[in-house]
Amino acid sequence: MRLTPWLAAAALCTLAGCAQMVKVEPGQVTVKEALSLNTANAWNRFELGQLYLSVAPGAAEVWTQDGITLDALAFFVGVAQGETLGSALPGTSKKLPAFRSTMTPGDVVELYEQMVTQDGSAFALKRVAPGRFGEQPGFRFEHTITRKSDSVLLKGVGQGAVVKGKLYLVVFTAPSIYYYDRHLPQVEPLMASARIRAP
Amino acid sequence: MQRRPFLLGCGCLAFAAAAGVHADEYDYQVPLRFSRPDPSSDEGGLWAFMDREEQRLKRSSFLLRDPALHDYVNRIACRLAGDHCPEMRVYLVRTPYFNASMAPNGMMQVWSGLLLRMQNEGQLAAVLGHEIGHYLQRHSVERLRDIKSRSSFAQIVGIALGVAGGGNLGALAQVGILASGLAYGRDQEREADRIGIALMARNGYAPAEAGRVWGQLLEEYEGAKAAGEDVSTTNILFASHPPAEERREVLAAAAKRDWPGAERTGADEYRAALASHRMGFLYDEVRRRRFGESLVLFDRLLKASPRDGQVQYFKGEAYRLRGREGDTKLALEAYRAALQLDTTPPEVHRSLGTVLRQTGEDAEATRAFQRYLELKPDAEDAELIRSYLTGSQS
Repeated sequence: MRLTPWLAAAALCTLAGCAQMVKVEPGQVTVKEALSLNTANAWNRFELGQLYLSVAPGAAEVWTQDGITLDALAFFVGVAQGETLGSALPGTSKKLPAFRSTMTPGDVVELYEQMVTQDGSAFALKRVAPGRFGEQPGFRFEHTITRKSDSVLLKGVGQGAVVKGKLYLVVFTAPSIYYYDRHLPQVEPLMASARIRAP
Repeated sequence: MQRRPFLLGCGCLAFAAAAGVHADEYDYQVPLRFSRPDPSSDEGGLWAFMDREEQRLKRSSFLLRDPALHDYVNRIACRLAGDHCPEMRVYLVRTPYFNASMAPNGMMQVWSGLLLRMQNEGQLAAVLGHEIGHYLQRHSVERLRDIKSRSSFAQIVGIALGVAGGGNLGALAQVGILASGLAYGRDQEREADRIGIALMARNGYAPAEAGRVWGQLLEEYEGAKAAGEDVSTTNILFASHPPAEERREVLAAAAKRDWPGAERTGADEYRAALASHRMGFLYDEVRRRRFGESLVLFDRLLKASPRDGQVQYFKGEAYRLRGREGDTKLALEAYRAALQLDTTPPEVHRSLGTVLRQTGEDAEATRAFQRYLELKPDAEDAELIRSYLTGSQS
């Protein structure tokens, strides 16, 4: 049951020659040499290549347990002034808004919203509040995304902080039915373990 | 990018049509009721394909499931279609682009971006009448036969999906392309235009509104160009032909000549029917990030209803989200103007506070945030806004 969708996604992408997976072992992990995390479980790191993932286009890394359409943990690491959070939809002339180091958490959530709704998906913010990102003061938001391609309702949670002018953001999304609740218990401590190593 | 069926028509009205239009061309005889085609025929195959798409559409989360609005649009479509009304099913779809389409099996899609753009019932009737015109003349079947004589259906579907950008706008856009009858020909568009304007006039609508639909679209297109936005993906036909101008002129001339007395537009009824959805439609509109088009649209809506605080607020949002040099000032002006108008949403205070914080006007920003929290104490971002006020989060 657990392997089937994962294998299907893997097979598709292998056939397309667009992505590969790398196992993330439990323990200390560093993303882009700038963000370290402690994970109790093994994950699969998805190398997106040319593949376009609507909930995290252009993320530094995307991890998954059951396959990226079923759960996706996306890392945006050290986004600097003038850079976009993710990447624009392929084949579009529209530009994503750029990050500014003076942005409030509300502005950052809006950046995220504009990135994930490029494909026509619908975003709804449920809650945004101050919070912690590892040892740093930061923010936390909860939201839903109705995915355009298949009308599936996803739930999501993001935590992040702006440190020394750069944005660090980790967002987890999964279908509201079953998958979100299934993986949230391992996502929460993982997010709490985030440490910015090279701000 | 996406090929909007109604827009496709704009590429198809040539000068020849302008020269040759006479009143009797609008004396359209509606054909007798259609029955389901033989499943083994090419037309039957097309219906079966559209039936499957319709089943998907019925399950879509992007359907606007509002019985009152649905009844309203359905009533207009039904009056236009006359005896053919029972063959039709109308679906309202939340997608912020200008589009309506009617498939040969009777599935009609109307997108929220079209509903937002139409100023009155007459304009909506013009677009729906045009699509019903394609349906009554079974243009998609003609088109299918034409295509089949040259290439395979599967190839065309593949091309159509490719045009959509591999799912940029998702499955519904793709259905729209296919439901559009695989791109109508020029003569078919001319015919659908003539039928559309005749149907709306027979139902008492001012036919001049048909030409205005095109005028409005052109203004938005020019707005995007003037704002320096890439218009090549707005509509491939805008880019490769200069057609909407002729279309606007031909329809306006026909309206003036053949139905000089018809004046009903149904602006008040239209506004009332859309009222509960406008905030959502406007929200989706600014998030398309086609600010040049949106700002022209908002100015047009404000001209029609100068006290519309919702539109004035979203005009400010367009400037804030665009964030070009000078936009902060324009956003502030729009928000402050919105405060003086009717039905302005409480979110205007949050946006005002956000922009004022950026410009260093902290005292006024604080007052704006406080007002927002007074009006929406349980807002999804209330905790965050409170933290701005206490200084615990910057």
